[in-house]
Amino acid sequence: MTVAAGIGYALVALGPSLALFVSVISKKPFLILTLLSSTLVWLISLIILSGIWRAFLPLNSATWWPFAILLFTSVAFQEGLRLLFWKVYKRLEDIMDAFADRVSKPRLYLTDKMQIALAGGLGHGVAHAVFFCLSLLTPAFGPATYFVDRCSQIPFFLVSAIIALAFVMVHTFSMVIAFNSYAEGNKVDQLFVPVVHLAAGMMTLINFASGGCIVGIPLLYLMAILTLMHCGRMVSRRLTENHRQGSS
Amino acid sequence: MWKSYNFPVFLLSESSTSTLQEIAMKNEKTERAYTTNVAEFDVVMQTTKVGTHDSESCLKEETCLPLGGYSRKKMSFANRSDVYSYGDITILLRGGMLRGGSVWSALPPIDRLSSNQSKPIILAVASMDAQSFFRDKSLGADSPISGMISLLAAVDALSHVDGLDDLNRQLVFLVFTGEAWGYLGSRRFLLELDQQSDAVHGLKSTLMHLVMEIGSTGRGLNQGNKTFFAHTEVSSASNETLDALKLAQESLKSDGVTISTANSSNPGVPPSSMMAFLRKNSSTSGIVLEDFDTIFANKFYHSHLDDSANINSSAIVAAASLVARTLYVLASDNKNLTSSALSAINVNASLVEELISCMLDCNPGLSCELVKSYISTTNTCPNHYVGVVLGEPSSTPHPNQVDDISRFVWNFLADRTSTPKGDTSVCSQDCGKKGGVCIRAETDGKGVCVISTTRYVPAYSTRLKFDSGTWQLLPPNSSDPMGMLDPVWTESNWNTIGLRVYTVQDAAYDRLVLLGGITVTVLAYLAILLTRAYITKALKQD
Repeated sequence: MTVAAGIGYALVALGPSLALFVSVISKKPFLILTLLSSTLVWLISLIILSGIWRAFLPLNSATWWPFAILLFTSVAFQEGLRLLFWKVYKRLEDIMDAFADRVSKPRLYLTDKMQIALAGGLGHGVAHAVFFCLSLLTPAFGPATYFVDRCSQIPFFLVSAIIALAFVMVHTFSMVIAFNSYAEGNKVDQLFVPVVHLAAGMMTLINFASGGCIVGIPLLYLMAILTLMHCGRMVSRRLTENHRQGSS
Repeated sequence: MWKSYNFPVFLLSESSTSTLQEIAMKNEKTERAYTTNVAEFDVVMQTTKVGTHDSESCLKEETCLPLGGYSRKKMSFANRSDVYSYGDITILLRGGMLRGGSVWSALPPIDRLSSNQSKPIILAVASMDAQSFFRDKSLGADSPISGMISLLAAVDALSHVDGLDDLNRQLVFLVFTGEAWGYLGSRRFLLELDQQSDAVHGLKSTLMHLVMEIGSTGRGLNQGNKTFFAHTEVSSASNETLDALKLAQESLKSDGVTISTANSSNPGVPPSSMMAFLRKNSSTSGIVLEDFDTIFANKFYHSHLDDSANINSSAIVAAASLVARTLYVLASDNKNLTSSALSAINVNASLVEELISCMLDCNPGLSCELVKSYISTTNTCPNHYVGVVLGEPSSTPHPNQVDDISRFVWNFLADRTSTPKGDTSVCSQDCGKKGGVCIRAETDGKGVCVISTTRYVPAYSTRLKFDSGTWQLLPPNSSDPMGMLDPVWTESNWNTIGLRVYTVQDAAYDRLVLLGGITVTVLAYLAILLTRAYITKALKQD
């Protein structure tokens, strides 16, 4: 695609992440570190998954169920890693709280913890967008464009950018929900995150059908918006609770 | 075809053509208004780029090379402003074509050491290069390759005849290249003959008794009968040849072969190498054997469509039989000529079939058994474009400077005209000293030394001279009437030629996408700021 279009696609996929980074993450170095390490963890999870699945390649693209199994195992693995990520974070939080006590500085606020979760989620989202969208754009600069047969209304790159944006939203806000639910011990929310992640992944299988992207992509965005709203509700609930606790 | 066009013309393969047709149809009925399918041409001709638009200037600037024998790598094309070539839709590179020269061979071999070299010579001539609008698709099946195949088959038939040594006259076979481009081969040959150069050692123009040219023979089949015509110039004395042809026809009556004199209202000989011989010496006794009388029978003359579907092998076999028996009659000078001797000369029809499939088809093409037994080549599809001359032309070129067809013809003629049969040895340094040549040198490394008089003759325009590394254009010479009309064909240097087809989006659509991306980013930023403000306010609320 042309340079102008390429920048456009990249901004569609990563523009909101960039905005979030600039306005929130870049202000605190610890958040930047969290973002980078979570990106790394996500990429490592992909490497491990691809190592395991290498033995089963190439998958027959005429049928959809091998991909369903692939998605299921990948999501399961990544959710497992999320739990691990949480455990590491919990340990770090304890260390930081202990350190704060020692130097008589305040402990981590709730908003700080949420920002750390947000940075973690954003790391996952950015990794997803870079891996599944940006990597397609970089070799494709040139005068031509490309349309896929099964989704022939919009250019292929635009489709992948839109899907990447949806997943950025899902990953970013899922992490906030997940960390909060682990902290609170809320079983429903703990289940919410893997279910939504899996559902979002499975939605993309609808794109296999001819013209399926017209149905699949809106459904995917439904998942993303669901995650966003749930996260918003949860955050506002916790903040008001905390505020009431603090003031009382 | 000689017109100048200011746009490139590509010839695509079958599969590429159908792909392109599909894409063009898609353009017609597209549902998306903002995309079109486009084609991108990648063709760079150095003469156009540098601005040297004629042969003289481009030779001086070294942006082109002259057409002829012994070229090496860079290809070229005739000096027109834009060029055309055979292309595939993905990438095209026709590189590394090597060119050869004309080939001549004597049957029986001329004894170099013997002082008795005064037998009159019967020259049988054909040409091996073709021309078309698309240089990589120049097969020339009827014109002139069918004639060349007839000559090669005739040589094969005559090689089985005993007692050729005792005949009164010497047979010499000559296969020219470059004839399609201003008769370079024949003109250069005659010049070398005048200069008595090494390439023509053993031949003298004073010994030339008569010339018989075999033009196109592939379309001589008419309702089961094979008819050919003998064209002569009005003033030349060719009764002897015509009588010999009649004798040969008599002996082939059962095969339905007829040869007639061409219509007397024809203005002399058709376009042929004979013209060069006649311009030099108008009293040369010569005839041109063709499959047409007053008008060409080949409607694909000088076209890329002149392929093996355009000819008939039985016509070629008939012409070859006619030529072989006529040459025998002429060489024997009517001494001890018996009809049994004549009917013993038979052309191998399967050899003709094999030559057709090797020279005019891609399958098996140059990887056929016959060709593989003489030369080693990586090409399979034969192409009869003459090519360019790279470096200094010489009479003893290195085999890897000579193109496949010339090398094959040289090896074939050397093998068939060699004597005695079966007395061969491995090639060594003194093969040449014994009056022999090394054949099959590429197939088994060493080669076989046979006693034969077979040589290459360089083929390039008589108006060119290779001097200290560059080509000089000589002024037209009034003693060379064909040279005066010669435009001196050259081919521009060129790089990879290709054709790409792809879909493009409107620039407006691209700008829309960019705007969309920026909008998404800005909206997200605003949303984040709002959320942050809300949270801060909520926290401060008391």
